[in-house]
Amino acid sequence: MATAVRPAPRAAAETAFELPRQAPLLLRLARPWLRNPLGLIGLIIVVVFVVAGVLGPALAPHDPRALGESPKFLSPSFDHPFGTDRLGRDIFSRTLSGARLSLTFGALVLLMGFIPGSALGILSGYFGRWVDYLIQRSGEAWTAFPQLPILLTVIAAVGPGLKAVVIVVAIGAIFGGSRLLRAVALVEKHKDYVLAARSLGGSEGHILRVHIVPNIMPYILVGASSVFAVAVLAEASLSFLGLGVQPGTPGWGIDLADGRGRATEYPHVVLFYGLVISVVVLGFNLLGDTLRDILDPRLRGSR
Amino acid sequence: MLRYTLRRLSWLPIILFGVSLIAFVVLRTLPGQDPATAIAGQGATPEQIQQLRDQLGLERPIFPISVTRTAVVVPAFHVHAHSQYSEWIGNLVRGDFSREFYSKKPIRDEFKRRFFPSFELVAMSLSISAVIGIAFGILSAVYRNSWLDYVVRLTAVIGASVPEFFLLTLLIVIPSRVWNYSMPVGGYVAPWEDLGRNLRLFVPAALVLGFAGSAGLMRLVRTTMLEVLRADYVRTARAKGLSGRVVVLEHALRNSATPILTALGTSFVAIFGGSVIAEVILSIQGLGLWFFTAAQQRDLTVIQFLVVYTAFVVVIVNLIVDLSYAWLDPRVRYN
Repeated sequence: MATAVRPAPRAAAETAFELPRQAPLLLRLARPWLRNPLGLIGLIIVVVFVVAGVLGPALAPHDPRALGESPKFLSPSFDHPFGTDRLGRDIFSRTLSGARLSLTFGALVLLMGFIPGSALGILSGYFGRWVDYLIQRSGEAWTAFPQLPILLTVIAAVGPGLKAVVIVVAIGAIFGGSRLLRAVALVEKHKDYVLAARSLGGSEGHILRVHIVPNIMPYILVGASSVFAVAVLAEASLSFLGLGVQPGTPGWGIDLADGRGRATEYPHVVLFYGLVISVVVLGFNLLGDTLRDILDPRLRGSR
Repeated sequence: MLRYTLRRLSWLPIILFGVSLIAFVVLRTLPGQDPATAIAGQGATPEQIQQLRDQLGLERPIFPISVTRTAVVVPAFHVHAHSQYSEWIGNLVRGDFSREFYSKKPIRDEFKRRFFPSFELVAMSLSISAVIGIAFGILSAVYRNSWLDYVVRLTAVIGASVPEFFLLTLLIVIPSRVWNYSMPVGGYVAPWEDLGRNLRLFVPAALVLGFAGSAGLMRLVRTTMLEVLRADYVRTARAKGLSGRVVVLEHALRNSATPILTALGTSFVAIFGGSVIAEVILSIQGLGLWFFTAAQQRDLTVIQFLVVYTAFVVVIVNLIVDLSYAWLDPRVRYN
């Protein structure tokens, strides 16, 4: 028995066939973000918004609903970073708590509208036929009509409230999601990996679940980001008009409307709510744009 | 071209009929507060409410045909001679727009009074949006990756993110704080009566709506132009020594006209919706404010009328967009 120590063959093989060195996974994932500072800003805004939405009232330094605890119309100071409103409520605390309303609303639109819409879009893009035709034509009719009149009509029927607003915005998201994902699925179904999976005997259901959906996940994220932007804007606008959430509830749109009467004397009662809405929507837009640029440079700059 | 226009126009009554039917279903059959109870107020007795319902015609069947479940499997169909829907649509076809639900004022008079302020606001905003969107979209594409391009692109994203109601609120707050100038709020003066006052009311509002509407347009014009500027015929045009201006305006812009027109249509729809918010904030007595107050008061006849009117406008605008495709692009015309 030869007991001579042999050089470890595996090590040799490794050096012989070594792949080009790759940067660590984390760095590879982070690189596009570092190259797109605007996208990174968007990502940070979105993360801060979600944290504020989940923890909001717990982080607030004052009770957002407490009346008369502080003097009215205080200018921004160290104790009240955004000042106080016409009822002496702390605007900073109300802003933090208002994030929860926007986050809940966006999540509802995502769950009730965008996700079913995406599923519908993938199926109709993949299988086609008359269902596809019907969905696309209804979507075109819906988007051709201005959204605010639709909302006003539904509100005239069922009365003001967040429920009507959620339903109308969610229907819009169903059509938006189905149009985006249908286009993606149409391209995806002709790709080689689908052909390969099919020739290996994969059923259509299996191909959709295991191959197509994971491959188009990034597009779903892009769509979700822009749906969130639209939802936050819609909730704020409708609540501003007094057609959404109940008065007194902390919410950016309704609180801005509440301060409007005295805004020329005390601009801070509207300024911070408006800025926060703008920044959050901007965050979702930047995030969506950057995700799309990373995914598909050909689409750069398009909507 | 004429035949195409006529064929498209023949769809108009069908679409309006469908929209009116949907509006009726939404407004009259969805569960909500009874309009009669709403007007009668809190102290009303059930008899008073019932009387009001009779007066308003709410007791009559809603649609000319109704279906009820029977003990047998086959449902029973009922035909009603004087349904709410058939009366309303019959009057509408004859040119009678009915009356407001509560005040009983003729809708036609109110519409005439409120049409022009809204028309002026939307037309002005759309022109501003088209000028800003197309001009800066082109500049941004031609001077790609310059500081101008970055400013335009950032402005476009910001314009799509800042809510219109916030900009309009600032429109009142900022001039008052900085220049001690208060925006004229409410009160409409026709341009032929007092042009100065008219413009003082409309120009700032139209600038805000136009800016918000131009955001999407700028991005689209930029992308389309970038694609077209890469085309062979643009290279040929440059190679034969045409000036940059001629290449961009004559060759590139003309060839990107169709997507730009589509985007203008979309921009119109956005501005049309945004004008409601502007009219509410600035108390402009236009159609948008009417729609808003009618929705709050559940004035069903006004809403029905305005929904059909909106559908009419949307269909006509889409028709204009499609006809201008044909006008601009011979390939569409000869197909």
